[in-house]
Amino acid sequence: MGRIGIRAVTSHAGRFVMSVLAVALGVAFVTGTFALRHMLSSTFDEIVNAAATADAYVRTADGNPTDLTSTGAVGGGVPLSSLDAIRKVDGVRQANPDIQGPVTLVGADGAAVRSTQAPSFASPWFSNNTSYTHIEGRGPANASEVMLERHTLESSGLHIGDRTHLVVLGRATEVTVVGEADFSAPMAGATIVILDEATMRADFAPTGNVGSISVYAQPGVSQSDLVQRLKATAPAGSQVVTGDQLRQETRDTIAKQLGFISTFLLVFALLALFVGGFIIANTFTMAIRQRMREFALLRAVGASPTQVFGSIVVQAAVVGLAGSLIGVAGGFGLVEGIGALLRKMDMTLSSSVPLTWSTVVIGLLVGTVVSVAAAALPARRAAVVPPVEAMRDEVTVHERSLHRRAWVGAALIALGAAAVITAVVRPGADSAGMLLGVGAAGVIVGVLVVGPVVVPAVVRWLAVPAVAWWRPVGRLARGNVVRNPRRAASTAGALTIGMALVGASAVLAASTDASVRDIASTMLHADYVLQTQYPDTIAPEVVANVRALPGVGQVYALPAVEAKVTDASTTRTLSLDGLDPKIFDSVMTVETMTGPVAQVISDGGAVVDTKAAEANGWHIGDQLTVTTAGGEKRLTIGAMFHSSGLDIGVVVGQPVLDALVAPAQQTDSQVMVVAAPGADVAALRAPLTDVVKPYYVISVMDSKQFVNGIAGQVNQMLTILYALLGLSIVIAVLGIVNTLALSVIERTREIGLLRAVGLGRLQMAGTITTESVLIAVCGTVVGLVTGVALASALPRLFHDQGLQHLAIPAASLVGMLVLAVVVGVAAAVWPAIRAARLPVLDAVSQE
Amino acid sequence: MTTTAELDTARAAATPSHAIASARGLTKVYGTGEAQVHALRGIDVDLARGELTAIMGPSGSGKSTLMHCLAGLDRPTSGTVLVDGLEVSSMSERRLTKLRRTRIGFIFQAFNLVPTLTAAENITLPLDIARRPVDKALYDEVVDAVSLRDRLSHKPAELSGGQQQRVACARALVARPSVIFADEPTGNLDSHASGEVLGFLRRSVDVLGQSVVMVTHDPRAASFAHRVLFLADGELVAELVSPTQSSVLATLAQLDGFAAKEK
Repeated sequence: MGRIGIRAVTSHAGRFVMSVLAVALGVAFVTGTFALRHMLSSTFDEIVNAAATADAYVRTADGNPTDLTSTGAVGGGVPLSSLDAIRKVDGVRQANPDIQGPVTLVGADGAAVRSTQAPSFASPWFSNNTSYTHIEGRGPANASEVMLERHTLESSGLHIGDRTHLVVLGRATEVTVVGEADFSAPMAGATIVILDEATMRADFAPTGNVGSISVYAQPGVSQSDLVQRLKATAPAGSQVVTGDQLRQETRDTIAKQLGFISTFLLVFALLALFVGGFIIANTFTMAIRQRMREFALLRAVGASPTQVFGSIVVQAAVVGLAGSLIGVAGGFGLVEGIGALLRKMDMTLSSSVPLTWSTVVIGLLVGTVVSVAAAALPARRAAVVPPVEAMRDEVTVHERSLHRRAWVGAALIALGAAAVITAVVRPGADSAGMLLGVGAAGVIVGVLVVGPVVVPAVVRWLAVPAVAWWRPVGRLARGNVVRNPRRAASTAGALTIGMALVGASAVLAASTDASVRDIASTMLHADYVLQTQYPDTIAPEVVANVRALPGVGQVYALPAVEAKVTDASTTRTLSLDGLDPKIFDSVMTVETMTGPVAQVISDGGAVVDTKAAEANGWHIGDQLTVTTAGGEKRLTIGAMFHSSGLDIGVVVGQPVLDALVAPAQQTDSQVMVVAAPGADVAALRAPLTDVVKPYYVISVMDSKQFVNGIAGQVNQMLTILYALLGLSIVIAVLGIVNTLALSVIERTREIGLLRAVGLGRLQMAGTITTESVLIAVCGTVVGLVTGVALASALPRLFHDQGLQHLAIPAASLVGMLVLAVVVGVAAAVWPAIRAARLPVLDAVSQE
Repeated sequence: MTTTAELDTARAAATPSHAIASARGLTKVYGTGEAQVHALRGIDVDLARGELTAIMGPSGSGKSTLMHCLAGLDRPTSGTVLVDGLEVSSMSERRLTKLRRTRIGFIFQAFNLVPTLTAAENITLPLDIARRPVDKALYDEVVDAVSLRDRLSHKPAELSGGQQQRVACARALVARPSVIFADEPTGNLDSHASGEVLGFLRRSVDVLGQSVVMVTHDPRAASFAHRVLFLADGELVAELVSPTQSSVLATLAQLDGFAAKEK
């Protein structure tokens, strides 16, 4: 029986091409996700191993792994004064403080050297450091000399001996490149600048505390041994861990974050595979229908239903395995390609794409299982065919009534809609989010289940123009689509899934865009905004220079530091923000205000976000202890406010903030500028630009550019979503091609008849094309309607998170419909040509 | 029955202008080398206008091939075919398609109807394709003649075999083609339905002046024709005018005898 199954596949191999392709695409995506994760993980592992090379670390007691973008230690830290004692411990070869902070390097072209997503930071120069494998030139001796990591030097276009600028803590200093250092691992596009130790201490450890101290052991002393010896001399409030432990912790944190990303990608990959399952189900349903007599014959000569079922499942397994093999190869190839592309963009990742057996096996397994599962239902129908059917000329397949499906589908939609409506009516309830998610899933599944009833109705309606203008092609096409509701629903359904998500994404993006624009324009009324990219900062002297410009009325800086905030029960890491109390009268509009906010800030108290207070259980009058690297302070909550335009932690006045952290150490990424009354706003731009130019990292935006900039980020996210959904859509379109091609084979006699009574080749091709367009547009319409309807519930639920407007991008949706027509025509090209070219005689006299 | 010698005189007598379709030196060879099959060996035939002509022969005699070539569905290896004055054997596919809408009608043994169209839509299909208006009077006459007035809105799946064939006949007639080619039209029908269809075809010839060419292996079907042509091994071997069922059977027996003798 297996032999019959395999022969059937090989002899009709052409029929399974699309199915194999669909499985290959889905499996490629799945494999690619895993391979990408492995590649990223091994890249970061290499970086961790290259950057953290010590045998032991003395660090702050609640040990957070070093964050490459933070300016120094948050809350306490290990005092540098303990270095001498540590160095004197028996078994210690050397000990170096771990100081780092964000800097921006200006390249040979006068622009900041920056890779998207990769950090840009400074590290201290130690002549005895074992992290560097190769050195050209020499290490920096003072604040005007720098050494660059090899890839950084390359991408900056600089050479040893060149002069350039370095922006540290918002100020640009002139420096000379004196050396080049090679780390033992590719640094994934990070920009690494090496400064001398004294400068690093002054800039990033001004209070004399650092996050940790790296300790290297004498040969013959093990890591745990070293840790034991160090414990005695370690300062109070610090912790000693082995190098291995620190590296493992860092790797674990990275692995968790990679896990989120790869899970996100995997969802889309599985979606693509699910859609591919539709194609396989369709293919097998049609293939089996055509061979019903053959199965009846097998049964008539004594094959059991299980054997017939088995032979079909074998076919499905072969198809799935073939597709999976191609898909696995494709997935790895894709990730190799991504790696090569990133290398070109100066983001070197791990040079090898790890070919793990687990990934290969998962890919093969997933593809094969999906194929077999998809073919199971049609296979069952073939297995139970009565042997007597072998004697008949035309085997009729008994179509079960669609009533049950209609009722089940309608019930699912009703229940799902009810869940969504409940969530919308009570958006504040804890379960609202989950209700919405489950309800949405229920609605989508319900729409797919009820498809065989809905799709023919929609198609009849969509076909009205075709039937009226193009006779008899329109009527023939409509009849062909509608005559097999299950197949039409299945083909269109694959597209419906993808388009529902696309529609929802479009609504979400448009609503977010509208909400963001609204918030930004109603809540912040500055004429100009000075902006840097995190973690760059705008130095206090810039603010002073801007204030001094003629035509400038008010200037509001928004400095912040990271601090540990302790209330009665818990300690959290929050942002400590400095606000000028006058900001509330002019630049910022708030939505809710409890208590005299401006007064409290002037008086030295603390103000918190209303929503955060609700979540943390804070009330006016509660005490908070705020700890930074520079000290500790006890504050009383005097008022609360909430503004969707501003994300705040604990707000204090500038004097309070300065007492806790020196102004030079504060991070300010936005400064609001309001023109003086009567001044020419447009004329202010030039002088503002002149003031910020020497600082390289600050851009000047008017209110419109500011709003557009934020909205632009939303569009970036949407593009990524579309790209991820794109694969599912492509597979669904392949499904349309597949259904059409197979139905042309199935309808060979009918096509012959039509040609015999005079239907021209062009008319024949037109019939197939019209069918394709009807299915494509139907799937798109149902999907978009469902997706848009479900996404409309989102603003109600996420109102407080900033999604306050519902915007339905009518133009985009219409564009998608037009695209559906184009796609329908394109999908039909090959099947239509085949149908038109069928020799009439062969078709007419076919047995 | 007429012998081969008498056939030649008959052929000379039937002038081409009375013929709705004619073939000269029609030869059809399939395959190459060892596997060559000579389906038709240089056939000369004229099919009369306004008559029901039957073509009979055992399987493998080439009768279906002959009809396919006459109808323009197949291209002969050599020889010419004329239908209603037009040379079909050398026409392009595009012109043949036009011919099928207007000049030639088909009835097949099975699978005659488009499953997604109703009986009425199936009947007017060639005219819809050609965008020609339907002759309402003729339509009504034909529909009543095949007794399908109450079945017009049904799909083929809802009609019996006999009804389906009658719809096919109606379709072939309503377009008023120059000639109708029918390939075993009663092959799948029981005797009652067969009789209906055959009677109807004969009446369409007698009453409406239609020309019909029918391929069959059923002597009863052949008895409805004005003339029967007999094929064997790709050649025209006999002819019968005003046949009856018994005369047809007799001719067939004699042909078997000839074949046996020639072996």
